Order: sequence, then C-alpha cells, then structure tokens
Amino acid sequence: MTQSFRRISLILLNRLASLLAVMFGVSFLTFLLYYFSPGDKALAIGQARYGGEGDIQPEIAAMIREEFGLDKPLFSQFLHWLGPFLQGDFGKSFVSQEEVWVIFVPNVLETLSLALTALIIGLCLAFVLATLSVWKPGSLIDRFAVAFASIGAAMPSFWLGLLLILFFSATLKWLPAYGSEGLEHLILPATTLGLWVTTSQTRLFRSFLLEAKAAPHLEALRLRGVSESELFWKHILRHAMIPAVTMIGVDLAGLLEGAVIVEVIFSRNGIGALFVHSVLSRDYPLIMFLVLFSAFSYVLINTLVEIVQDWLVPIKRVNRGAVS
Amino acid sequence: MLTVKSLCVDAQDTRLLDDINFSLGAGECLCIIGESGSGKTTLLKSLQGMMPMAEGSIHHGLSDDGVEHIYQPGQHYLGLPGVSWVMQNPTAALNPHQRVGDAILEGLYSARLSKSEQQTRLRSALQEVELSEELIMRKPPQLSLGQAQRVCLARALISRPKMIIFDEPLSALDAVVQKQIARVIDEIRKAHGLSYLFVTHDLGFARAYADQILLLRNGKMETCQRTDDFFGNPASIYGAELIDAATILGALEQPAELSEEIPRLEAGQ
Amino acid sequence: MISSNSDALTTGADVSVPQSDLSRFLKRLGIAIVVVGLAFAAAFMLTPYQPNEANFLMRLKPPSATHWFGTDNLGRDVVTRILYGAGWSLGLAFLISGLGAVVGVLVGLSAGSAPRWFDQFLMRVTDSFFAFPELIAAIAIAGILGPSTSNMVIALVMVSWMRYARLTRSLTLELSKKDFITQAYLNHLPFRLILWRHYLPNLKLGLLVLWTNMWARTILSISGLSFLGFGVQPPEAEWGAMLLDGKSYMQTAPHLMIFPGLAVLIAVLSLNLIGDQLRDHIEKNL
Repeated sequence: MTQSFRRISLILLNRLASLLAVMFGVSFLTFLLYYFSPGDKALAIGQARYGGEGDIQPEIAAMIREEFGLDKPLFSQFLHWLGPFLQGDFGKSFVSQEEVWVIFVPNVLETLSLALTALIIGLCLAFVLATLSVWKPGSLIDRFAVAFASIGAAMPSFWLGLLLILFFSATLKWLPAYGSEGLEHLILPATTLGLWVTTSQTRLFRSFLLEAKAAPHLEALRLRGVSESELFWKHILRHAMIPAVTMIGVDLAGLLEGAVIVEVIFSRNGIGALFVHSVLSRDYPLIMFLVLFSAFSYVLINTLVEIVQDWLVPIKRVNRGAVS
Repeated sequence: MLTVKSLCVDAQDTRLLDDINFSLGAGECLCIIGESGSGKTTLLKSLQGMMPMAEGSIHHGLSDDGVEHIYQPGQHYLGLPGVSWVMQNPTAALNPHQRVGDAILEGLYSARLSKSEQQTRLRSALQEVELSEELIMRKPPQLSLGQAQRVCLARALISRPKMIIFDEPLSALDAVVQKQIARVIDEIRKAHGLSYLFVTHDLGFARAYADQILLLRNGKMETCQRTDDFFGNPASIYGAELIDAATILGALEQPAELSEEIPRLEAGQ
Repeated sequence: MISSNSDALTTGADVSVPQSDLSRFLKRLGIAIVVVGLAFAAAFMLTPYQPNEANFLMRLKPPSATHWFGTDNLGRDVVTRILYGAGWSLGLAFLISGLGAVVGVLVGLSAGSAPRWFDQFLMRVTDSFFAFPELIAAIAIAGILGPSTSNMVIALVMVSWMRYARLTRSLTLELSKKDFITQAYLNHLPFRLILWRHYLPNLKLGLLVLWTNMWARTILSISGLSFLGFGVQPPEAEWGAMLLDGKSYMQTAPHLMIFPGLAVLIAVLSLNLIGDQLRDHIEKNL
C-alpha cells in the first residue's frame, strides 16, 4: 500500500512542480509582452493618469519612471510587477483608473453565464448526436453527425454567429442581435458558442462510445440474454462516461476564444469583449491581467483533469519519451 | 586480442553484469550464449563504451599501432578502435531514407580515404558479402531482410576491422537465409583472420563455428570454455541443461559420443 | 520488406519494387495542386476587375451576370476579391506554418538530443507557451505591436511553433533509440551530420501531417484576427476583413457576408480532408 502511495504522491508532486514552473513561465512571458510593447511607457502611464494626448513634463515623467521602476533591468522590473500581483494588487486600468479587479468581476460573471449555457446546449446536442450515431452506425444520422463535425471544425465561428444573426435577427426578427440583458439576448450567442462545442465534442463522444461498444465482456453479457438496448444504456454508456467526464474540462481554451468572438459580434459584456477593448486602448494592466487569467485557468484546469485521469487510470511508468 | 577482466556493470541499484572474464585471441570466434535478460547486450554495450563499467578492466590489443590499450572504470570512450558491430535487427540498423551504398560507406567515415579508394573498398565489401552492385542505389525498405543484413555486414567490414561484434545477427532471418549468411560470416573470418565476439542463443551455430563458448546467466558468467570442452564436458550444470534441451529440440545434433552422463538440474537451481 | 528465397548475389532486375501507396497519393495530390493552381492563375488573368478597384456607381449590387458574387460597399467586385483573398489566406498560412515549423523543429531537435536538464528546461518553456489560448495570445501580440499583416504573422508564429517542437522532440527521442543512429555514432560521424542525414529525413513524414493540419488552423486564425481588426488591414482583400466590412451591410447586402465565410469554410474543409487522407496513407506506410 505504501509503495503505490509513494508512487502516486511522487507523480502528484511532479505535476504540481510542473504547474508551478509553467505558471512562472507564463507570468514571465506575459510581462515580456508588456516590456516589449512599443512606445514610451512613462508617457502612456502619464497620459492615462493625467489625461490628454500630448507630452508630459519631464519631472512628471521622471517621477513615473521612479515609481514604476522603468529604468531598472528586466528581471527586477518583472519582480517589481510580480510582487504586488501575487498579493492581489492587480493595478489600475489606464483608461478608467478603476481597480482591475473591480472591472473584471462583473464581466467574468457574464462570460461564465454565457459559457455555461453554451456548454449545456453544446454537450447535450453532442451527446444526442453521438449516441444516435453509434446506435445506428452507417445510418443517415451517423453520416450526418460525422459530416456535421467535419464542417463545424472547418467553419469560422464568427461566420456562424453572423449567419445566425442574419437569419434569426435581421430576417426573421425573432431574436435580438446585440445586448446583454435578458434571456432572449443569451440565446443566439449561447447557440453559436454551443454549436462550436458540439462540433468539437461529438467526435470525441462518438469514439468513446465506439470503444466502449467494442469491449469484450459485452459478448458474454449478450450470450446471457441481455437485450441490446439494456446493453447499450446500462453498460456501454456507463463505460463511455468515465473518460467523457474528464474531457469536459478540456477545451477551456476553445471556450475562451469562442467567448471573445461571440461577445464582440453580439456586443455583449464579458471578459472577451473587455479583452479586445483593452487591447485596442492599450490598457496594459487590464490586458496583462486578462491574459494571465486565461492562461492560468487553462493550465490549472488541465492539471486538475490530468490528476483526475491519473486517479482513474494509474500510470505505471513515467516515460521520458512519452508523447506529451 | 581482447582480454576482459572482472568486468562489472551496474544500473541504478542492480548489478547487471558480475565478474566477467574472458580472453579472445586473434582470428578466434567466441560465442556468448545466454537466454534473454542474461546480460548479453549489456556486455556488448559496455565493451563499446556505451554503458559505464563499475569495476574491472578491458585490455584491447587490436588497434593499428599494436599497443595494448587498457580501459578502466570512469573512462569515457565510444567504440573500441578496430571493432565493428553488426546488430540484430537490420531494419532498425539501417536508415530507411539512406541509399544502401551510402550506408555502407559510412563505415569508412573516420578513415578519410579518397573517393576512388572508397569505391574500391565498397566493391570489395559487396563482393565479400555476396551482394550485387546494382543494389547500392536501393533503400532498405526495398531489400529483403537477408540482403539488409548483408548490407550491415558490409558496413562493418569496409573499415577493415580486426574484430567484429555480432549481436544475434541471424535471429531475425528465415532459416534458409540464416545458413547462407552464417556461411558468409565464417568465410570472411577465415579469409581475413578476424576475431569475432558472437552473441547468440543458437547452440547449433556455436557448435559449428565457435572456438570458445561463454555462458551467461542472470548477469553472471556460468562458464567459459573451448567449444569442444563445452559440448563434451560442460563445466556448468545450466550449460548441460541447455545442451540437452537443444538436442531434444533438434537444434543440436546428437554428439557422436558423450564423455560423461549429463547430470540433471535439480528443481530450483 | 520484400522476401526473396534466392538471396545471394541477387541482381536488381529480378526483384520488383512496388510503388508505395503514399507515393502514388502524393503524385495525384501534386497533379491536383497544379491543376487548381492553373485554374487560379487563369481566373486571375481572366477577371476584368481589380480587387481594390472602387466603383461608386455600382455599390452593394447583388449577384448578377457582370458581377457573379455582387459588389461590396465600395463597388468592388466580390469574386475578384475572393480570389485574391485566397492568395492572402493560403500564402500567409504557408508563410506562418513554414516559419513556425522552422522554429519548432529547431527547438524540438535540441530538446530531443540534448542532456536531460536542457530538455526539461526547453519543455517547460514550450509548456508555458502552450498555456495561452491561441487566439487570445495572438490578439494581445498583434494588438500591442500594432495591427498589421506582418505583426499578425509574428503573433501567429509565436503562438504555433510549440506544436512542431513537441512533435519533433518526441520523434527525435524515438529515433535516438534506433540502431542506425548508434551505428553512425560508432562510426564517428559528427553530430551535425547525424542530424542532417539521419534525423531530418526521418522526421519529414510526421511533420508533413502536422504541417497540413496547421495550415488549415492558420487560415481560420488569419481570418479571425483580420475580422477582429488585428490582421490584414483594409483595403486588402482578405476573407476575414471582407466579413468585417460586410457585417455593417447585413440587411441590405447579405451576400457580402455569405461568400467570404463560405470561402473560408471550403478552403479549410478541403485542407482538412487532404490532411486526413495524407495521414491515412502515411500511417499505412510506416
């Protein structure tokens, strides 16, 4: 018992160490983004603080440089920024002078509601399509599901959104095209994002189900007289659920990217739109925070998923040559 | 000649090879016999400097300058000079994208000969292994296994080595091809007076071609004897059991006479 | 491998060399590419319009005999713009995947053949790059550097090289175990020569599959970034930029939104299908 416990905790420690290393690398890279951005930083900060588009006086510039340590070497500037950041001081927006965190919270809630709705819609649809497709392989539904997944993978999501607006909003006038308040404003954006989820997850679900379907113990059950449908619902589905559950956590990056596009097209509030606006207005504190947030959450969730997978399927050997 | 004294090789906490001793003279063939996992490949790798020695010494007197070099633990080297190596699987030992002629010429890389000398050596190497010159433009996937192994042999020969190490070069081949290539290997040795270190699990081959037999088991040297001594009067019970099994399976012909009754291995030995 | 009974002194003549499925497929693919390329070239030369030729008398006209796909808000012919957009998308995607591949292969080779600590370091760096969602990082980089085509190229390369690095590294590690590499070392070939002669040719096929995959993804990224305003800038005829323009005229001229998106869809779908076929053939070959 202690042997395997040691091995598991060793692997766990390994993963956590990698996580820390990656998070450090991510922070450093994000900082480099700011460091190498063109333009005089003291000027940008000065303009943001005191308003106006013109030059700022040299004394003020010097003061800003002092305050932000802009003349120090790269690594000490990095630490100068990282220190307060780790303690929860994320800085103030250059544009609105508000705390970054204050701007962030309501927007992230908006995006979360969009993402959750999209996930529900998308996964249900993917589940239905995959199940139907495996239930009757080679049938019309099956071929439709595969074609759907292929086309969905090739279609730009912003185009899909535009088409939906064109169809449901401009032509049929059923649903509003922009805005954030209310359920009716959620439908089109969530459907756009949800359809994207469907196309990427249908194939996965389908392969899990196919794998579960090919399991050898099913023959034995069949011989014992278990009906096909009971076989399907009780055994195949259950086996496929195990890897499927871990897969749900996975395409967070895709969801974030999709949220950016959907929020921009439908003029919704949310961290996607916030991100684009902050880039356009060179609002560095906000940009860096959002970039870090998306990278951190992606890496954290992936690591969690890996840990769950480890727990479900214990790794026998940590192999240097394994494909990451 | 090559003399190995008290060679030990470790990997992390386990001792892979323990106290190996043998001596190979010029023109001799020593067959290393052992089951899988007995340490045969480890022995070859450590001789070539690819695995570190824990203890012992390797005395190598086959280099061109005639001086004996001694290799000891802690020394780093890659390949004993004047020693070539033919490996087990010709598919893995040849670059599938490299023309066979170029592969053979790689054996000459460190010799830095002129183009015409290289071509001369290439032609003579091909003749020795009985390969047609028309094959040199082919790539390994277009050759049969036997042809591929001959290519590897040519590559080993082209540098005019004094000794060749073989790691089960015949086990991947069909029986008919095995006999053909075994014959070629033996002819080459006799023609050039080469020394061979030949790893195999085929007792029939050992009996036919070897001068000495080194028996390995679990990293330890069970025995090292002249061939006739080994097959007539094995110094190891394990060796006797192997001979017995091989005879029953028909891999080894029944010797004309047995000098002694072959003892049986007790259970658990 | 071909088996042959009479092994010794076989001449080249009596053993036939079958052409592998892969090479036949590649030949057919090459022919198809040439045909499509010629069709494009013909279309370029035959179209009477220039992609940026504005004609204010003919603004926002729906598809007709003179303008097969209609005209846009500046009176420019849409068909011509779509064709030129193909050039932009395919050309830029080629450039970006190529650059990404070069960087990635260099890193991957170094990681796969370096001492373990350096390999681990490079892998951590690669993992850090992987942590950023592609579009978000690309927007940040392209946006901060300033919206332009070249900055978009830089951004997309920085966001995609890691895939090549990971693949190259794992292929390199696998190759290092092969005996022919050991033989090359034993024959005292210098490391650079071993990389060139033995590693690189064996990486080609695996990388090719990844490369076609990345081409398709890159086209999506290019149009996405241009649509958001961070990539190819107007008045150039890039599909994503065209969609951005067309968005405002959704109700009056919906055809402006349909054709560019359709073009992206068809291009990416074709590349995906070709990539799948290619992968199947390569896997059969191995």
